[in-house]
Amino acid sequence: MISNVKTTNDLAFKIRDLNLHYGDFHALKDIDIDIPRHKVTALIGPSGCGKSTFLRTLDRMQDTVEGAKVEGEILFDGEDIYSKECDVTDLRKKVGMVFQRPNPFPKTIYENLVYGPKVHGITDKKRLDEIVERTLKEVALWDETKDRLHTSALGMSGGQQQRLCIARCLAVEPEVILMDEPTSALDPVATAKIEGLLHDLSGKYTVVIVTHNMQQAGRVSDQTAFFLLGELLEVNSTEKIFSAPDNKKTEEYISGRFG
Amino acid sequence: MKQKVKRKVCKIIAAVAVMSVAAAGFAGCGSSSAGSSGSSADVVIAGSTSVQPLSEALAKEYMKDNSGADIEVQGGGSGQAVKSLSDGIATIGALSREIDDSEKSDVKKTYMIAKDGVAVVVNKDVNVTDLTLDQLKKIYTGKITNWKKVGGDDNKIAVVSREEGSGTREAFTTKTGVLSDNKDNTTKDAVVQSSTGAVNKTVKSTPYSIGYVSLASVSNDTKTVKVEGVAPSESTVLDGTYKIQRPFIYAVGSDVSSETQAFIDYVMSDAGQKQVKKNGFIPVNKDEQ
Amino acid sequence: MYTREKVIEKLIFICAAVSVAAVALITIFIFAQGMPAIQRTGLLKFIFGTDWSPTNGSYGILPLIAGSMAVTIGALIIGIPTGLGCAVFLSEVLDKKQAGFFRSAIELLAGIPSVVYGFFGLAVIVPMIRAVANVFSPDAGATGLSVLAGAIILAIMILPTIVSISVNSIDAVPVTYREASYALGADRRETITKVVLPAARSGIFSSIVLGMGRAIGETMAVLLITGNVAVVPHGIFSPAATMTGTIAMEMSYATAEHQQALFAIGIVLFVIIVILNGAAQAVMKKFGGEAA
Repeated sequence: MISNVKTTNDLAFKIRDLNLHYGDFHALKDIDIDIPRHKVTALIGPSGCGKSTFLRTLDRMQDTVEGAKVEGEILFDGEDIYSKECDVTDLRKKVGMVFQRPNPFPKTIYENLVYGPKVHGITDKKRLDEIVERTLKEVALWDETKDRLHTSALGMSGGQQQRLCIARCLAVEPEVILMDEPTSALDPVATAKIEGLLHDLSGKYTVVIVTHNMQQAGRVSDQTAFFLLGELLEVNSTEKIFSAPDNKKTEEYISGRFG
Repeated sequence: MKQKVKRKVCKIIAAVAVMSVAAAGFAGCGSSSAGSSGSSADVVIAGSTSVQPLSEALAKEYMKDNSGADIEVQGGGSGQAVKSLSDGIATIGALSREIDDSEKSDVKKTYMIAKDGVAVVVNKDVNVTDLTLDQLKKIYTGKITNWKKVGGDDNKIAVVSREEGSGTREAFTTKTGVLSDNKDNTTKDAVVQSSTGAVNKTVKSTPYSIGYVSLASVSNDTKTVKVEGVAPSESTVLDGTYKIQRPFIYAVGSDVSSETQAFIDYVMSDAGQKQVKKNGFIPVNKDEQ
Repeated sequence: MYTREKVIEKLIFICAAVSVAAVALITIFIFAQGMPAIQRTGLLKFIFGTDWSPTNGSYGILPLIAGSMAVTIGALIIGIPTGLGCAVFLSEVLDKKQAGFFRSAIELLAGIPSVVYGFFGLAVIVPMIRAVANVFSPDAGATGLSVLAGAIILAIMILPTIVSISVNSIDAVPVTYREASYALGADRRETITKVVLPAARSGIFSSIVLGMGRAIGETMAVLLITGNVAVVPHGIFSPAATMTGTIAMEMSYATAEHQQALFAIGIVLFVIIVILNGAAQAVMKKFGGEAA
């Protein structure tokens, strides 16, 4: 199915008939969903429902898993990312990911931030310095770190490390930021800081965020998708999902009846 | 009840550990020179490592027929032989050379139990068949470096030597004159191997090489060279025409136990000399004993 | 209850004490036996003298030190890239089952006695080197018994050490680092060279130090294939003598003075190893501080 370029202008991703198997296990079943550009889409659902698995198909991180088989169509900017012509490293430059546990490299703050740009060919020191300053300011870390850019990133607190990871992701100037439960390992203060950050980011980037925390989904997202046992049961505007969801299971999950 | 038993066992283990450490410590503080631990055997032979295999073979045969005998054979080198004797560590000192003047005072009697020739071997592609003692000396001191100087092809000579302290080396260097004024002038370029077997292997596989080994150990993989026109064999060693040879000597002090004398008598007897021959060494004439 | 713990504590203390005591005893022994030889010859003349001829009473060990250093450095030059390459291959390219098979094969290498390595070297490597050396300098009359032979065999001997420990270090690098690298658009090669190996560098470095220790202490194998020529080697095809090989070869025949000199070589070897290990620790501290 070749999509009309005009209609995908406001869509970052268009996913149709997505199925994923881990060996014999059918992890994702017939997923159809649109991810709008420059909006925050939240993916919610109980443990093991496939939301993280789905997230990782969007930047082809499933390629690193042995035995994972992806079928269906995932169009990013109108192009099928699983086609042979698609350059994975270029895809991942445009679609960045932030992980559940902060994972800065065991290098300095500076080296963490310039790693991505260097991989993509930027060697001019002035440009790199500028990237470092810009991204740290975007995540409100600049004042805290400007005097210790060349100390180890592992010396920062958990919340700071996660913001650093977001900055690192921003350093390659992606279009999309995928976030896999980014605050579940952090304390409430750090969590609040990052949620505030999401708000600022969504104007410039498309954000897809997996979260266990429904209140968080309600706070930060424009659109919410509910997953259960590998299936996408409902996707709607966040307002609708949380006030009057179409699907009964969605309603039960939201009201805490299970999950 | 169980607790008490466990505690007792722990205490015992601790005590045993402490005692074994102490014992190891005391044992370690003992004498350090090679082959010098006190032995309870009736007959202890110490000295030349060249003689050692022969002594071991003789001892084995002797102990077969005399089950009560207890003979121990050690090495240490010819240099240690008389010293072990005078220190009371050995009852027989074994040497692959004559005793020298400084050793005479500690030795009451010597027995020549066998003779050994030192054969000069070359790699199969060397077509020189005869060398003089002087030529050997020049080769081994580095004065002659090419086979063409001694009648062979134009090829560099690869010299193989034994290690310092080897009795075989001492015999070779003494008889050829490489050792003179107590100075061993073996060329520094000589490759050194630490056993007869290694020398054989090296000469066999290295083109244009030359080495020396005990006559008993000559192998078919190398060519044997005549020295001063004489090929090494049992008869040429016995009549002295093959120059590079050495005596195997048992030396005893003034206090000779009956067991020691019995063994020496066996070695010097026909049965013992038969064993000497069996092991590839040269038995001595009755009149030279 | 408390007394039982005390007893166990004392017991394991004794075990530790025994180990330390053993090292101390050996060290004291070597120094006690060897110092007279160094005093007799004079420290500088002993270490820098180029004439090792015990039967002539000359004890200069510079050629031996040079020989040991030459084969060890040669072994590292060959062994480190090979070992690291192997470790990366095992860790990153092969799947678990294949990697397990390869690792068992490499670890078999560690079980081979060093004298067997020596014979293998003598039978296979030495003739090959002789052939190559004769191509380069036909008149030199090279026998193949050489620094190069020693370096090659030692490299094979230390391979299991380097590979095994490096593989462990590389495997221990958290998968999250690799994921972060891939997520930023790096390919596999970049991820391995820029993230994984630097993160594993402290373990890799330890493996190299351990390998170096094994190489410098190796005796039997080098004895058979380096030629034991006590002359400072002037090229990779030159024969050489190592400190360990010389001690092993001459100890059984050595008389008092010679024997003390051999122990003195032991002292020098000991000091060199202490210095090397110390330097390695210092380097590790400086560069390994940030590693995971």
